[in-house]
Amino acid sequence: MNDGLVKILDGNTFVVSDSRGDIEASLTDPTGLFSYDSRFLSTWILTVDGERLNPLSVDDLQYFETRFFLVPGTGTVYVDAKLSVIRQRAVGDGFHEELTILNHDANPVNLTVRIEAGSDFADLFEVKDALEKKGRYFTKVENGRLLLGYERESFGRQTAISASAPHKVDKQGLTFSARVEPQGEWTTDLDVAVATRAGGTYVRPKYVRGERRAQPNMGRSLERWLADAPRLESDSDSLKVTYRRSLVDLAALRFAPPVSGGRSLPAAGLPWFMTMFGRDSIFTSLQALPFQPELAATTLRALGSWQGSRVDDFRDEDPGRILHEMRYGEMTAFEERPHSPYYGNADATALYVVLLDEYERWTGDRKLVRDLESEARAALRWIDEYADLMGTGYVWYQRRNEETGLENQCWKDSWDSISYHDGRLPGFPRATCELQGYAYDAKMRGARLARLVWKDPALAEALEQQAADLKRRFNRDFWVKDGEFFALALDTEGNHVDSLSSNNGHLLWSGIVDKSKAKAVVGHLMGPRLFSGWGVRTLAEGEGRYNPIGYHVGTVWPFDCSFIAWGLRNYGFKEEAAQLAAGILDAAEFFDGRLPEAFGGYERGVTKYPVQYPTACSPQAWSTGTPLLLLRTMLGLEPVGENLIVDPALPSSIGLLALLDIPGRWGRVDAFARGRDLLEALQPRRRTLART
Amino acid sequence: MDATTKFFEGLEARGHDPRLAKMSATLRFDLTNGKRTARWLVSIDKGDVSVSHKNAKADCVVRSDSAVFDGIASGELNAFAAALRGKVGIEGNPEVLVIFQRVFPEPPRGRS
Repeated sequence: MNDGLVKILDGNTFVVSDSRGDIEASLTDPTGLFSYDSRFLSTWILTVDGERLNPLSVDDLQYFETRFFLVPGTGTVYVDAKLSVIRQRAVGDGFHEELTILNHDANPVNLTVRIEAGSDFADLFEVKDALEKKGRYFTKVENGRLLLGYERESFGRQTAISASAPHKVDKQGLTFSARVEPQGEWTTDLDVAVATRAGGTYVRPKYVRGERRAQPNMGRSLERWLADAPRLESDSDSLKVTYRRSLVDLAALRFAPPVSGGRSLPAAGLPWFMTMFGRDSIFTSLQALPFQPELAATTLRALGSWQGSRVDDFRDEDPGRILHEMRYGEMTAFEERPHSPYYGNADATALYVVLLDEYERWTGDRKLVRDLESEARAALRWIDEYADLMGTGYVWYQRRNEETGLENQCWKDSWDSISYHDGRLPGFPRATCELQGYAYDAKMRGARLARLVWKDPALAEALEQQAADLKRRFNRDFWVKDGEFFALALDTEGNHVDSLSSNNGHLLWSGIVDKSKAKAVVGHLMGPRLFSGWGVRTLAEGEGRYNPIGYHVGTVWPFDCSFIAWGLRNYGFKEEAAQLAAGILDAAEFFDGRLPEAFGGYERGVTKYPVQYPTACSPQAWSTGTPLLLLRTMLGLEPVGENLIVDPALPSSIGLLALLDIPGRWGRVDAFARGRDLLEALQPRRRTLART
Repeated sequence: MDATTKFFEGLEARGHDPRLAKMSATLRFDLTNGKRTARWLVSIDKGDVSVSHKNAKADCVVRSDSAVFDGIASGELNAFAAALRGKVGIEGNPEVLVIFQRVFPEPPRGRS
């Protein structure tokens, strides 16, 4: 891990420690055991005869399990170590640690082994923002266990620490007297269990298979998860590494929210964003559809259950709106933060309908489309009834929660992401261009579902008319004539927020761009101001706020590029899509197959390697999904009727690409591509394929 | 009339609520005031709602102080935040409550 911290997780429970396995957190330090957005351990320090240990190596066995090899001794010089210490740790709802001490000497040793333990029970938001606690702490020693607790009114969190070997407990930790025979070993299990207070009593999580100790809930299905995914064959070793990394990371990012019946959806990022996000979960589900379609099904069900139903200014909630972010910690509980859940986004609601349609096109699962008919209709109504804040027929956003709500409710959500060419920031509300594209796409796809599944041709017709009208007006109102691109946004006066940005690529994806304008748009996306050689910059060089390491004003976001590549394919620009895919996949090689959230917008020829933007979360879900979507665009996979069309266009760096057992309404099929040819071979297996 | 009674009687009077149209489930609310417990059993059959005071098994049982539930039933308190705070206990299938909470009233405007 590049920050020297070791992270393991299972769902939204995770442990971040140093390379010795120790946790020494302060309020602002992000180490500890976290579950449901609360820190349950902030101190966890192992000593042997009063001395800290030194790390020899760390084995990341699985994303939920790790092993630390340690030796006694201080400083950098390893004394002739007669002892070695192994800590093997697996996270579940809490964690389990197996501590082993090996004696390599010819004489027995008597050791005092101690674990110091404590917790500040900080809310994740407090760790990020360094805020003070308002409740009361307590520590108890009972039945050989150490019990750490925190209560504020009826809110309560507890951590129980126990061990299998004989020990003494005090309020700061556990002490063992270990005798280790020559060439022998001493071992103990350490269990850390978390509990949450609800309705007056503490509830310990139920481990999935009824175990008595913390166990990973999903870990054991990792092999099945990998076996379920299509198999990749290629002459590019780096592509194979990246593909496998993506599948494993996607498995780690699975999160089963409490209302999903145990099914999982992609959380946004590890470890700080292991929760349901409307936008991130939808984009990642779209990217992963050809590989793991059940992620989309769970995302649709869970987001549908939590769909907004009332006007709530604190949560920026409206009827029909799809949530932005859900949190479970203390500040959310006491409404010091609005994430219960928070609805402040202007894109996830339209994207919800887009995902529902794309899901049906791949899987043929019309039952889910019928089950979610009222949610999809409510989402479509939200676009017209609640999102048009200016009454101009466009989607606008402005937060109603002025204190803790989000200013920018589009994916570029940092404060300075939406700016004019001269660098000024527009007022609110704002209508960014990609939101109009998503609304257009939602209407078109909603029309298809209305006709095909809901048997409501009148709705279908109405939606198609609205979409056509939106497209016509959009191409008139957002088009910057002298620059030949779409403005980043409209301001309240109806004027262009006239920066050139990557958002143009999302417009191609959504299909709102007039065919006659596509060539000019593509020229910009692949031109020197936006294309860095690795990918498309969020904001073009030469704009007032352009900064190659500015979060949304010049960096390259892999996920952004993957949707741009999809957009390029939609408009027939295969070569350009392949070139963009190649740039991002080349960059992935520098990160051992794990694409960061963003990297610097520096020109490729200048830096020779992609400069990582420092972020707290890795892997990030939609970066993890990026190689998957790029495989789709390179192979030109497109469900048409009951068949999967394969229409490949590979970059020059890939000579051979085969994706085997692609799941969908066709059962399982294979797709092959060779060199720069359009289509070499397509081998039907369990079903005959159509092809172009 | 307290907010809780008003809420449940309004629900019963409407008979059908389209926001619950997909749901067929029962919820029981056990609301305590000192030593007394008031029970409200809500049966939903594809959005058709009936309310009684029966003490029957339910898919989801919600327990809280009656004062807390008055807050929820009037829109002053958010049900999920109250649950996170430990003021509301949930047994059985929590998804039933997630869907049901759509019919709790809106909070007062402008509160943020």
